[in-house]
Amino acid sequence: MDFESMDSPEMAKFREEVRGVLKEIVPKDIMISADPKKNNDEQYELHRELARRMGNRGWLYPTVPKEFGGAGLTVDHAIVISEELDEYELTAPSYSDSTRLIGPDIYVWGTEEQKTRWLPDMYTAKVVSWQLLTEPHGGSDLASAKTTAIRDGDDYVLNGTKTFVGADRKPDWMWTLVMTDPKGPRHQNLSWIMVPADLPGITIQPLDLLSHGGGGGFMSLHNNSVFFEDVHVPATNLVGGENNGWKVATTHLELEHGGGGSISRNRTIERFLAYCRSAKINGEPVIGDPSAQDILANIIMEEDVDRLFGMRNFWQRHARIRGTYEGSQSSYFRKMGGLRVSYAMLNILGYLALTNDEEWNVAERWVEHYQRSTITAVHPGGTQDIQRVIMARRMGLGRTVREEAGQMD
Amino acid sequence: MDLSLNERQELLKNTARDFMDHEAPVTVVTDWDRKGLSFIPEMWNQVAKLGWLGMVVPREYGGGDSSFLDAAVVFQELGKGPLPGPFFSSGVLSALVILEAGSEQQKKDILPGISQGDTIATVAVNEPSTKWGPETLTMTATKQGNNYVLNGVKLFVHDAMAANHFIIAVRTSGSGESGITLFWVPKNASGVSVRPLTGFAVGLGEVKLENVQVPASNVLGAEGQGWGLLDKAMQKSIPILSAYQVGGCERVFDISVSYSQTRIVFTQPIGRFQRVQDHIIELANHMDAAKWVTYEALWKLDNNRDDALASIHEAKAVASEGYYQACNYAHEAHGGIGISREYGLVVHSTMSRTLYQYLGDPRYHKRKMVDALGF
Repeated sequence: MDFESMDSPEMAKFREEVRGVLKEIVPKDIMISADPKKNNDEQYELHRELARRMGNRGWLYPTVPKEFGGAGLTVDHAIVISEELDEYELTAPSYSDSTRLIGPDIYVWGTEEQKTRWLPDMYTAKVVSWQLLTEPHGGSDLASAKTTAIRDGDDYVLNGTKTFVGADRKPDWMWTLVMTDPKGPRHQNLSWIMVPADLPGITIQPLDLLSHGGGGGFMSLHNNSVFFEDVHVPATNLVGGENNGWKVATTHLELEHGGGGSISRNRTIERFLAYCRSAKINGEPVIGDPSAQDILANIIMEEDVDRLFGMRNFWQRHARIRGTYEGSQSSYFRKMGGLRVSYAMLNILGYLALTNDEEWNVAERWVEHYQRSTITAVHPGGTQDIQRVIMARRMGLGRTVREEAGQMD
Repeated sequence: MDLSLNERQELLKNTARDFMDHEAPVTVVTDWDRKGLSFIPEMWNQVAKLGWLGMVVPREYGGGDSSFLDAAVVFQELGKGPLPGPFFSSGVLSALVILEAGSEQQKKDILPGISQGDTIATVAVNEPSTKWGPETLTMTATKQGNNYVLNGVKLFVHDAMAANHFIIAVRTSGSGESGITLFWVPKNASGVSVRPLTGFAVGLGEVKLENVQVPASNVLGAEGQGWGLLDKAMQKSIPILSAYQVGGCERVFDISVSYSQTRIVFTQPIGRFQRVQDHIIELANHMDAAKWVTYEALWKLDNNRDDALASIHEAKAVASEGYYQACNYAHEAHGGIGISREYGLVVHSTMSRTLYQYLGDPRYHKRKMVDALGF
């Protein structure tokens, strides 16, 4: 059992290479702020450029085959790249993009032509893609999606509304769940279609929310409504078979519900812990009180368990071990843990946790941001309650047959 | 990164699992519980024959030369019974204390007997106190010629009735961590008396010492240096105890899932009701948190990493809390049958309480973890 990427001579050499390359390609002034005003167009371009530079080497998605824009490397290589990028407090990519979920949908369910048409541009970060699932009348009941896509000659014509989608910069493509058979039975009337975002009839309307995700909107996936009014999309953009969308969704949702795992650390908690190590108020350490240390211990344990669940799922996926409830478990744990941790931070810091004031904020405003973003995070990507529903099915509670995990690769 | 067990560990796991399925199925475990047994000689002898005592002791002292993960894999299966007995107290903890504190001669004299199962040892530290730690040690020993004379009471000593030897931590001077001495004391020494402490726990005893004469050659380590040595041994032993607790979590999870499938109420298997599902989901979260924090601690320990200590403390906190809560959630999912002593859940609830504060409660370990992380 090994919890690290083994730094064999080969891997050590690779790490040196990655370090050297990142030193060259990471733009000097790049950063993500909890202050939305600081995440301006100039910064956004720096982030896009970094992703393109990494994408050119296949390093954004290192384990994806080279022919599709990855580097055909191993899990351990992916971990090394992620660790070295983490030194710059960045993830790959460092802006909102749903390729992580959409790519596998196309890979598992698309035709060879569709894979070649789309995957390389997505995996090399030439384009930004949003996923469009939720509608105003329902998100958890995904099967009730009613944005229609009606066949008309060589096109599908889209009408409807999606909401809680996307980030604060326009995408190139929209991966959309649509109803292709309005008269068809539930679960057999849906399809997925790739919609170029510049088609006529598409309107993006930003939402005014409690929080806009990490990086003041850079890293979120739920900030807008999108209206489709007679949008004509080529029929060759439909993926996985007409009315077969519910099956295709099993791949998408498995990944979205934590099935792919993760190997990144919670940067806000790390910043908070760094603050606790050194901060003094009136000469007294912020966590001088033993009861504050007890609360701190709980925060550390939450972060560790969240990290370990993500690591377990990441390894399981790459080792191709068929999981059951682990994806939804990590999603559920992270969502509820977020509420527990932000509460714990409030109990340690008091008012200081609540302000993003220039002078009095904690950890570059990230702590105040976390007070809000942990509430927002309870629902996207499957609500906490949906995660529990799935966990129960995967455990086989009250059932003779356990529900199977979706295919991710 | 590879989170799988190696071939040897898979073999150990399967052997231990088969052993438990055959020798300690639920009917047998609940029967021992009904009879109030915390030590079953036939089981002890079988486990000794399988080489599962002294697993982490080096071969030169008669041990199994195994890694901590190897031992943990076995204890995870024993925890599913749960199999009562001094397997941990003697085979792991006491063995590690002798390794850490004993002289070369003491190691040669004592360790082989522990691995063979003839010497059954346990550590007596607790005194009447709500806390864990060296500040609670007030029992004293005075030097008289070549002997020390021990007087006092050790309370809540795990496996006291089964043991034939005690490692007793006594204050010979000073306060706090300094001035504590470890003594190797045979149970049949004059003045030693043991009685069981009944209640919602298993295998705990009171050890009374009245003018017990212990030769100076039975001191383990240097006089006054005992706490540091004991602490080192305890730290190494903890992840194996946590693995035993994880096994307990796994068993109560399995029986809860089964029950959810077979118990029909309101014309449906109760696992269809979301409120019942929620209990089992929380149980699983505690179980898996305990499992992976424990595995990571074992990996750090086996690889002599600098950051092992914080993980060890975390493992004990999460596993103790986890096993306790897992049992409570299992009771919530089961209803009445759960408290029937022959069903097989109560034995785990009892063990979860017993182990909750063994070598320190979660509060103690969380504070130690924060210290170890340099806050």
